[in-house]
Amino acid sequence: MSETIAAAAQPILVFMFVLGGVAKLASVGSEAEPGALGRLGPAVLVPERFRSPAMIFCGLAEFGLAAGLVLFDHPIPRWMTVAFFAVSTYVLWDLRRRRPDVGCGCFGEVSARPVGLRSIGRTVVLTAMAVMIALHDTSGLPELSWTFAAWCGGGVLLLMILSPEIEESFARLRYRAPCEQRSFPAERAFSRLRSSAAWRTHYPSLRSEEPSDTWRELCWRFYAFDGADGSDVVFAVYLSGRRPPVRVAIVGADGRQAPLQESIHVSASH
Amino acid sequence: MAAAVLGRDPDPPRLTADDGVLLDAISGVILDVSPHLIIVETDDGDEERLVIAPWATAWRGGTATPADLPVGSRVIIRALRSGKVVDRIWADITRMTGIIRSVSGRTDLAVELDCGPHRGVRSIVIPYRSSGRVRVRYPKLEPGYLFDAIGVIRDDVPLAQVPATSQPAYRAGAVPPPPAAYGGVQSKISGTAVWSDFTDRGAAYAMLERSDSGCEDAGVSCAGLPYLALGSMLYVRNVCAGRATALPVVACGCMAGRFCDRCVECGTSPRGRIVELSATSYVELGGDLTKGCFNARVGLT
Repeated sequence: MSETIAAAAQPILVFMFVLGGVAKLASVGSEAEPGALGRLGPAVLVPERFRSPAMIFCGLAEFGLAAGLVLFDHPIPRWMTVAFFAVSTYVLWDLRRRRPDVGCGCFGEVSARPVGLRSIGRTVVLTAMAVMIALHDTSGLPELSWTFAAWCGGGVLLLMILSPEIEESFARLRYRAPCEQRSFPAERAFSRLRSSAAWRTHYPSLRSEEPSDTWRELCWRFYAFDGADGSDVVFAVYLSGRRPPVRVAIVGADGRQAPLQESIHVSASH
Repeated sequence: MAAAVLGRDPDPPRLTADDGVLLDAISGVILDVSPHLIIVETDDGDEERLVIAPWATAWRGGTATPADLPVGSRVIIRALRSGKVVDRIWADITRMTGIIRSVSGRTDLAVELDCGPHRGVRSIVIPYRSSGRVRVRYPKLEPGYLFDAIGVIRDDVPLAQVPATSQPAYRAGAVPPPPAAYGGVQSKISGTAVWSDFTDRGAAYAMLERSDSGCEDAGVSCAGLPYLALGSMLYVRNVCAGRATALPVVACGCMAGRFCDRCVECGTSPRGRIVELSATSYVELGGDLTKGCFNARVGLT
């Protein structure tokens, strides 16, 4: 049974590698606004001049691993795949903690939505698939059978559920404009904020239910509230998708931000 | 606050120049001027004494010698060496950007411009001697069309001297839609940066949410700009002069958003005005006020 799962996982991983590599290289080539590349994935964690090379390196590495899995019957490419996805999981987790506004960049421009638990869950599933392949030494082209097809379909379905890019692609087909250029009523964003977990967590510490200030920047709408202890509680609502990510920070009365770790931790845990 | 909640770097980058020569801009009124020294009362009320470089030139409706500028003129000075050496002076310069409301007169044309909800209505005069130069670029001097010219203020009357752009072929209410964007992220924002008369250091930006900015004409742009807020920091780069700085959005650029022109200062820029800078910020970035625009690239800090 587990051998069939590993055999079904292999074409999925190869397909994901090729798709990710092509999308990354395409988004490096597209003329993105200065800094837009920085909003795409872990490249934001390296200095600006290394961002394009980092994206290119990542894309080429994915092509290399895809070729390694298909062409070479050797444990090295298989365990390298495990290492790649394990490291990716950690990097995404760290990225979500350090830069809550950037997307995972896994599939280039489409992955501009901020990293959420779904993106991280997807890399965990891919890591598990890679481990299965490595443990069973799966290589070459798999034999086709109904159980193989069922596992393959199930894996694809699971990954699609865990992919926020699907929603973004549909939104793009519907609106034909990036989220930054779409008008979005403030009231609708506010109702989304009020139904979020971050709101429920911080609601008791607010002095008033009405925001003291609100403004929009790119794909985020910000709401500033007066906190009970004289600080400001700032929420940021992402303006795309049905259940958008909501971030929160507490800015002290002296104008200084509460320690980043503390404020981001609160939001990252919901 | 936005930086705090999204973990961005709260300190914006400062003014940079590829050639290493930083420019300063001083705006004020001339208290005294001699061939080598100019004394200016700045907008903050300080008195500044600047040395006039031997190569320095002035503009007041035409090229002039700095020493010939009258006391009491309102000047914008491009200065070198930490703002102590005058490189170029523009005296009594003004920019008239708006929608034509009415035109009257036979020789000197009196034009009434609607400069947007926050700037109000302005009456300007196109003197007979520059009307040919203006009309060749503005063949339809009729109500409803856009107008943009640079001129001088003489006796509190703005006189148009040179057209700042060619007249857009459409009426102000029929701005062409931005090019279709299919990208998930904002594509590179390149276009034209222009200047305007406002004195706050910063930029006016067209794509603001109407409910936030209190500007009912905001949100119109033919450059495909992303939504930003008053107070957002923009990273503006003058592609022609190789200078860049971070500037806050301080006003609604509803009038700039209606122009779909290109700047040909160095190469041909993509269509559309992306920012309208204050005159001092424009000069700091190496722009020439009499030319009216430079090719710019804008990003968020």
